[in-house]
Amino acid sequence: MMDLLKTLCMLNGVSGDEGKVRDYLFSQFGSHADTCRTDALGNLIMTKKGAKLAPNHLMLCAHMDEVGLIVTHITEDGYLKFQFVGGVDRRVAIGKQVRLGTEQIPGVIGLKAYHLVSKEEEKKIPKTESFYIDIGAKSRQDAEDLVPLGGYGSFVCEAELFGQGLFKAKAIDDRFGCAVMARLLMEDLPMDVTFAFTAQEEVGTRGAFAAAFSVTPEIALVLETTTAADIPSVEGSRRVCALKKGPVISYMDGAAIYDRALFETLRTLAQEHGIPWQTKEYVAGGNDASAIQRTKAGVRVAAVSAPIRYLHAPASVGSPEDFQHSLTLVRLLIHYLAAQLP
Amino acid sequence: MMSLFDLLTTLNACHGPSGDEQEMREKITQLASSYADEMSSDPMGNLIVHRKGIGPKLMFSAHMDSIGLIVTHFEARGYLRFGKLGGVSPQEVLYHRVRFKNGTRGVILKDEKAEFAKLKMDDLLLDIGADSEENAKAMVCLGDTAIYDGTPHMLGAEYVVSPYLDNHISCAVLLEALERVKRPANDLYFVFSTQEEVGLRGAKTASYAIAPDYGIAVDVTSTDDVPGSDHSGTTRLGKGAAVKIMDSTVICHPQMIARIERTAKEHSISTQREVMRGGGTDAGTIHLTRGGVLTGGISIPCRYIHTPAEMASLTDARFCVSLITALCERSMEEG
Amino acid sequence: MDYPSVLSKLCTASGPSGFEQAVAGTAATLLSPYVDEITTSRLGSVIGIRKCGKPGAKTLLLDAHLDEIGFLMTGAEEGFLRFTSLGGVDSRMLPNAELLVLSDPPITGVVSCLPPHIQRQGDFDKAIPIKELYLDVGLTQEEAERRVPIGTPAAYPGGCILLGSDRLSGKALDDRSCFAVLLHTAQLLKQKELDVDLIVLGSTREEVNSAGAITAAWDLIPDFCVVVDVTHGDTPDSPAEKVFPLGKGPVVGVGPNCAQWMSQRLFEKANAIHIPVQTEVMAGNSGTNAWALQISREGIATANLSLPLRYMHSPIETICLGDLEQTAQLLAAFCENLGKEAPAL
Repeated sequence: MMDLLKTLCMLNGVSGDEGKVRDYLFSQFGSHADTCRTDALGNLIMTKKGAKLAPNHLMLCAHMDEVGLIVTHITEDGYLKFQFVGGVDRRVAIGKQVRLGTEQIPGVIGLKAYHLVSKEEEKKIPKTESFYIDIGAKSRQDAEDLVPLGGYGSFVCEAELFGQGLFKAKAIDDRFGCAVMARLLMEDLPMDVTFAFTAQEEVGTRGAFAAAFSVTPEIALVLETTTAADIPSVEGSRRVCALKKGPVISYMDGAAIYDRALFETLRTLAQEHGIPWQTKEYVAGGNDASAIQRTKAGVRVAAVSAPIRYLHAPASVGSPEDFQHSLTLVRLLIHYLAAQLP
Repeated sequence: MMSLFDLLTTLNACHGPSGDEQEMREKITQLASSYADEMSSDPMGNLIVHRKGIGPKLMFSAHMDSIGLIVTHFEARGYLRFGKLGGVSPQEVLYHRVRFKNGTRGVILKDEKAEFAKLKMDDLLLDIGADSEENAKAMVCLGDTAIYDGTPHMLGAEYVVSPYLDNHISCAVLLEALERVKRPANDLYFVFSTQEEVGLRGAKTASYAIAPDYGIAVDVTSTDDVPGSDHSGTTRLGKGAAVKIMDSTVICHPQMIARIERTAKEHSISTQREVMRGGGTDAGTIHLTRGGVLTGGISIPCRYIHTPAEMASLTDARFCVSLITALCERSMEEG
Repeated sequence: MDYPSVLSKLCTASGPSGFEQAVAGTAATLLSPYVDEITTSRLGSVIGIRKCGKPGAKTLLLDAHLDEIGFLMTGAEEGFLRFTSLGGVDSRMLPNAELLVLSDPPITGVVSCLPPHIQRQGDFDKAIPIKELYLDVGLTQEEAERRVPIGTPAAYPGGCILLGSDRLSGKALDDRSCFAVLLHTAQLLKQKELDVDLIVLGSTREEVNSAGAITAAWDLIPDFCVVVDVTHGDTPDSPAEKVFPLGKGPVVGVGPNCAQWMSQRLFEKANAIHIPVQTEVMAGNSGTNAWALQISREGIATANLSLPLRYMHSPIETICLGDLEQTAQLLAAFCENLGKEAPAL
C-alpha cells in the first residue's frame, strides 16, 4: 500500500481540479469494480459486489482533493497573485516551491529579503493578498503564456520514508483514505460495498453532499486523516492524537457526533484483534461525515483516520504502521457488518 | 599550587575589572612563576606565560578581567554616577555591594523615580556613605573602578557560588594545569588576558604577538539546567568539561572539537558539548589572528553569569584541568 | 560556462558557515583547470593562484564566499531537534520547511508547525522565532541523541530549478552563483595574457564574520580586490530604490568601500564591451567581505561587483542566468591590462 500511497501523493489534485487523481484511480482500479460513474461535482463512485447482497448498506468514503492554491491575478511584471484553496496557515507557504497549471510550471512563493524588513515588520507575516509566486516571467504576457488566471497550484514535496520509518509527503490528507479504499477494491468482499472517492472536501465537504444524496447508504465510513500535534511545546489533550499509536476512531469532531454504536463496534473490534487504536483527545476538525450524516433522512456515520502531523502543509508526516493498522481495522468492520446481515 | 577553592578565594580578593587588571596580574604572576619558563606582559596588560616544548604553538587564553563599574561623576550629597565595564545589567546589580581597590565600599541604588522594569544604567547611583561631594572626593577619584563585593562559598561538596567565577575559575583551572603539565608536547602559551569583557581586546594583541598554530579559550559557558530555561545554553553543572562548539563570536573548528573529545575519551574525562548563544569569548578574536588559527574552547558550565552570585561545579573544573593537561602533553599535530 | 550544471554541483554540496569542507572540495575541483596552484587556508578557504610571470606585478584578488546560511543542532526533546542559526537565517521561511541534517549519514527533517486548533486568531500573523521551532526527524529521543549530537550542522536541501527560460532558483545561490562567475572569469582569461598575479578566493564564514576572507587576505597580501557577492533583486513588495531588477546586468558598487578608480574602471569596461550595468550606492558598510578586506594590514583597494538575487537567505534564492554571463564578461575585461592601467598610488 505504501507504493500506491507514494504515487497518489505525488499526483496533483487541488479541490476543483481532481482530474489526475480521478483518472489514475479509475484506470488502475476501475476494472475491480462492477460499476463506475462520475458526477457533476467530479466524484468517482464505484460499486463492487460481494458474497452477500447489500446494495446501499455500506459506503466507504475518502476525498481525492488536496489543499493548494489558485491564481487570482497576474501583475504587470509577471508575478502571480493567488488565494489558498482549503484552509492553509499561510506561514507554511513562504519559501516553498509550487507547480502550476496543466503544464506543472515551477514557481516559488517568495517575500522580500528579510534584510529589507524593519524590526516591526519582522514579527508579522504579510497577508495572503501580499504574497506572490515567481515563475521567472518577465511580464504579464510572458506569465499568461505559461499559467492562465484560475490556474491551480500544488505544493511540492518528495514522498519518501525518513527517520525511523516515518513517511513524509504532501496530500496524505486524503490520499491515505483513497489508498485504503483502492486496496479494498482489489479484494474479495463479504458483501456489496460502494466506494465514493469524493471531490472538493477541503472547500466544505462539497462532493460528499452530492455523493451521499445519490447513493443514500445506510452506513458510511469515512477514511480520513486527522491532526496529530504530538510535538514538544504542545501539552496534554491539545496533542489530540499521536503517531504510531494506531488508527484514530472518532466519537466526535467539530462537525459531527459519530454514531455511538459504530464507534463502540470499531473500538471493540480493535481491542479484540490486538490492533492499536486511539481517539481524538480534543474536539476539533471536520470531514465528509458531516455532509453525509444529515443527508435526506439521515445516515449512520463513523470515521477511521490516520494520525498525521502538519496537515494542510507541503510536508505532512505519518507512520506506515498506522496506515496498515487502519486498513486492517476497516476490513474487520466490513466483515463484521456483513456478518450481521441475514 | 593551592586547591581550586583556595585559588578562587585568592583571586577573588584581588582587584581586576576590565582595564584595571594590575593587581590581578601581579597575583597570577606570583602564582605562576614556579611553573613558567618565561613570563612577559604586553601593552594591553596581558600576562603571557611560556612553557617551552618542541612542537606546534598551542595557546590557551583565560581572561583575568572581570566586569565592574567605573566612577564618572560626583553627585550632590556624595553619591556617585558610574559607567559599566563589560556586560553589567542594571536589574542584576541593584542593591548589591561593591568595593574599590583602596578598600572603599558602597551599595548600588536607583533613582527613586526610576521604574524597576525599565531600569537603565543611567538610573543607577553608588552610595559610599559619603554624605557630601567633598567627602566622596576624599574617598574615591573619577575613573576609579569598583567590583562586586562577595567571597566564594561552597554549597555542599561540589558547588561553589561566588562573584566572578567568570573568569576566575578559568584562571584557577589554567594555573592548576600549568603545575600539572610535566612533559609539554607542544610549545605552550598560557595567556591571562585583559579586557575580554569589553570586546576580547587583550586576546587580540596577545594572539598576534604569539602567532599560535592552535588556540583554546578557557572561559565559563551558560547552562540549560534552571527552571524555565529557554535553552540558550546546552550544558548542565556536574556533567563534565564543556567542549565549545560555538558561541556568539566563533564557530569552533571541527578538527579542534574532534581532537579535544578524542583526548578526553583517551583519559576518561567527562565532557559535554556547549553552544552559547548569548555571549562570546577570547576564541572569537584568536581564530581571526593573522592567517587564521584553528581554535576551540574548553569551558566551565556556570549559572547566573554576570550576576554577583555565579555558580559552578568544581568537579567540572577538575575535568577541565585534566583535559587541558592532557592536551598539553600530546602533540597537536599527532593523529 | 554551463552555469546550470556548475551551479547544480556547487549548490548540491553542503557548506553552512563554519562547515564548508564539502563545498570547498567541489569548488577546488572546479577551479583547478584555470589556475596554476590550488591551496586551502587555515580556515578552509579555497585559494587558486595564477601568476602572470611579470616581475614586480601587483596582485589582484577576486573573492566570492562559499558558505551558505544554515543551522546548528543544539539538543533534542522527545526526539525532535532544537536548533539555532548559522548566519542570518530568515525564520519566516522555516515553518514546515525541509532541512538536511549533516550527520553521518545525513538525515532529512521537517520543521514542525502547529496546527490551527491550538492557535489563537492573532497567531497566524506572527512570525515564529527560531527558538520556538523544532525539527522533526522521525526519531526516538535515544536515536536523536545518538545520531545527532549537539553541534551537528544542517542546511536547506540542495538543487536548483529553472524558472521561466533563464531564472534559476535554489539554496546557496548566495554566494555560489558568484563563485561560478569567478570560475567563468578565470576561464575567459585562461587564454589571455595577464599583467597582474590573479588569485581566486572561495572564502568561508562570510555569513558570520568574514573570518575566511580576513585571514586568507592576511597571507595573500593583495593590492587590489574585487568582491563578487549578491545584492537584493526586485520583488513586488520591496521598495524600488533598494533593489535591482534581474536581467538588467551586474551591479557596480559606489561609495567609501569601493575605490573610486575601481568603480570607474568597471563602468568604463562595461561601456566598452556593451554590457548594461546598474549602480548601487552604499554610504558605509557594504555588507560584503570588502568591508573587512579594505582594512587588512596596510589596506587594500576594494570594489564591489554584485549580482541581483531575489529572496536572499531563503531556500528559493533566484537569479538570472544572463546576469551571470554578463558579470563574468565584465570582470574579465576589468582584469585584462589592469597592471598597466591601474593608477599609481
